[in-house]
Amino acid sequence: MHSPRRRSHTRSIAAGLAAAALAVTAGCSSGDAAPSTDRPDNGRRTIVVTYAMLGAVVRDAVGDAADVTVLIPDGADPHGWEPSAKDIEAINNADLVIRNGLDLEEGLGDALDGAADDGVPMFVASDHVTIRTIGEGEAVASDEHGDEHGDEHGDEHGDEHGEGSQDPHLWMDPLTMRDIVTALDPVLSAQGIDATAGVARVAASLVDLDAEVREILAVVPVDDRKLVTGHESFGYFADRYEFQLIGAIIPSLTSQAEVSAGELADLAVRIEEAGVQAIFTEIGTSPEVAQAIGDETGVQVVEVASHTLPADGSYASFITGNARTIATALR
Amino acid sequence: MSAAVECAHLSVGYGQHAVVEGIDVVLEPGQALALVGTNGSGKSTLLKTIMGLIDPIAGTCRVLGGQPGTQHARVAYLGQAHPSRSVLPLQALDVVKMGRYASLGLFGRAGTRDRALVRDALEQMGIGHLAAAPLRSLSGGQQQRVFLAQVAAREGDILVLDEPTAGLDLSGAAAYRDLVSKALARGASVVTATHDIADAQTCDQVVLLAGRIVAQGTPQQVLTADHLLDAFGIVLQSVEHQSHQDLIITELPHAHDHGHGHEHDHGHRHD
Amino acid sequence: MTWFVTPFTDNTFMMRALLAGVLVALLCAVAGTFVVLRGLAFIGDALAHGVLPGVAGALLLGAPGMIGAAVGSAVMIVGVSAITHRTRLSSDTAIGLLFVGMLALGVIIVSRSDSFNGDIIRILFGEILGIDSSDLLVLLAATVVIAALAVVFARPFLLLCFDPEQADVAGFRASRYHVVMLVMVATTVVVSFQAVGTLLVFGMLIAPAGAGALLARRVTAMMAWAAGLGSASVYIGLLLSYHFDLAAGASIVFVTVCMFFVVFTVQVLRAASSPSASAASA
Repeated sequence: MHSPRRRSHTRSIAAGLAAAALAVTAGCSSGDAAPSTDRPDNGRRTIVVTYAMLGAVVRDAVGDAADVTVLIPDGADPHGWEPSAKDIEAINNADLVIRNGLDLEEGLGDALDGAADDGVPMFVASDHVTIRTIGEGEAVASDEHGDEHGDEHGDEHGDEHGEGSQDPHLWMDPLTMRDIVTALDPVLSAQGIDATAGVARVAASLVDLDAEVREILAVVPVDDRKLVTGHESFGYFADRYEFQLIGAIIPSLTSQAEVSAGELADLAVRIEEAGVQAIFTEIGTSPEVAQAIGDETGVQVVEVASHTLPADGSYASFITGNARTIATALR
Repeated sequence: MSAAVECAHLSVGYGQHAVVEGIDVVLEPGQALALVGTNGSGKSTLLKTIMGLIDPIAGTCRVLGGQPGTQHARVAYLGQAHPSRSVLPLQALDVVKMGRYASLGLFGRAGTRDRALVRDALEQMGIGHLAAAPLRSLSGGQQQRVFLAQVAAREGDILVLDEPTAGLDLSGAAAYRDLVSKALARGASVVTATHDIADAQTCDQVVLLAGRIVAQGTPQQVLTADHLLDAFGIVLQSVEHQSHQDLIITELPHAHDHGHGHEHDHGHRHD
Repeated sequence: MTWFVTPFTDNTFMMRALLAGVLVALLCAVAGTFVVLRGLAFIGDALAHGVLPGVAGALLLGAPGMIGAAVGSAVMIVGVSAITHRTRLSSDTAIGLLFVGMLALGVIIVSRSDSFNGDIIRILFGEILGIDSSDLLVLLAATVVIAALAVVFARPFLLLCFDPEQADVAGFRASRYHVVMLVMVATTVVVSFQAVGTLLVFGMLIAPAGAGALLARRVTAMMAWAAGLGSASVYIGLLLSYHFDLAAGASIVFVTVCMFFVVFTVQVLRAASSPSASAASA
């Protein structure tokens, strides 16, 4: 019989079942720590690191003391990458999750927050370094436009873009990475992972790496140390090695933002005024747009792998490789 | 006792555009009124005005002593075919049950009397055996019987029907006439818009429309050859046929002179 | 056997996604039934896309996306109603233009954010794996409310789908209930888009209900079929997405559309092989 009563009967059953299931689920998730009782057969702890550059350093330091998994595959854009169900499972089951912080891993936000709520031990790299913010020596706008542009961006784009926005590209400076890995030691120990020796070794090698980079960059005169990049990713590098940031094709801390016609025009003007010698494209930069600016300003377009490890998977090769690319282009 | 339908100087149409003007009709309970006319003559518009679906442009119209469209449970309506009527997942029974909704409202529970009315309506239209059949599997004629059964189930004091015999076969038409006579017998009134001139002849009043009122009165007064030529543009001749009169077309529409009674028989046509 | 069950028993977020998806399926079964019966498919699609500027604006302002979606859908409903009542333009044209305009506006607004690509993807395709408990509560509340409305207004809705004139004549004002129906559809879109995204929620509205229309003889059965098929699609879609690393929201919707076509094909073959079955006796 097509009576409203029978339909409401069915509906209330469905609603009741849904409510019961919800209650069961809520009961499961509150109070329970992350269900990480499965360990790999060798009984080792599992560490999940979100992206490759940080993962390389952590692997180096930890060695065999634990299983290190990197979530975002090397070559993928950490700003835009979205996890699969298995990835989220890995996060929830890890003994320790190491994340960058400062919203680098935009697609992982919900998953990481959920895991933290569930009690998964989490290490946030940005908590242990000196964070740089936009506006300190960075030419988001040229000096003439200076204030107006800064205010505009601050108002319209909020924290992510304007003055005071925090730069997440921590891995671009070896000494910042040294600070991170050093801070990692006690956290690892707390999880029963003994990597103190490895940490010390890696910290020392990062100091050496810094010296090596300075040598490589010595061929570029200070006046020529001017960077135009795909997005605003070279802040820490620039601060460490005395480079001036003229601008970026995507004037944002993330590769996921949009190019704007007005800002591109500004950029072209600034490139010419500053006598920039190369435009460095990176992941997430449209090659066509970069080439268009290059043609307009007569400046060469060079690709730099700022978010991707080289073939040997080593952080040292990553940094020296980028340094060499820049040195060659700007000498 | 007030009239069932009372229209005075009524003009009907859509927006500002009047389709028929100056309608004066009084229909008493227990009477049947037929609106006869071609498509576009204003029949459906007038019916919808009586139902309160569109507002009168001028004049007044009172239904059961009140404004049109206010006494939902007492007025039953069958409009012309709506495309979605026949494609929904509905059984014939469901459609007829809808006839009770006006009385039941949102929350009223269907009782024994409602169920009896529904059952009787199905039987009356000869489709009791098709109650569980999906509407969309029925033929056009059977569907029309279902829609008429829905009207019957309403047990209205006024039945307003637009082309009620469309698609009906002989037994369907007979069931329909039965429905009408039963309704009239219990004091209801019936207003139909029809092409079926034989049907119109059985009513108490006829209004012949063609964008205006061509004629109004009893069937004998209205359904004459002159008036019909005026309204339809074709010649019909009244023929004595055993005990009743039938109208047949004696000329095709391009006939020039109606006074000369040509002898061409083109068979029965009631359009 | 564990292949079918452990992804959900081992992971709270998968269980939540399943629950959210089933609630969305129930919601869409109710609202979708009326969309299909009343021929609101085009409007349903327009609503689903038209909420984009609302969601985008809300995200930029830091407000919950659902609030923005509600505002966006309200604008669409008012706009669509105004267009169909006032002008002589065919409704299709005007609705289509409104929908495209809202979509473009939405993209413009999102482009002002710094996470443009990520945000757009999440809005268009949903993030069912990121549903949390408060989202689930909202879904549950919406399901209960929509189901209640469908029960309370069962008669006028049925009349409206059957023949709007008959609704008016029975004392249920067709125009009013039409708006109520639109609001129900809009609400469904607003709470469901987080799971499967604005681009795909239309699929969840139409495909299960469409299959139900082919299979059922009565409206209640149609809704039940829609609920069942929709829920099954959620389960299968999530399972496939887990085991084969596929986008979750899109997998669900793809499965449900496939189900529709399977049902459709079966019905066509059945009708072709027994031609006498469909012809009614005189």
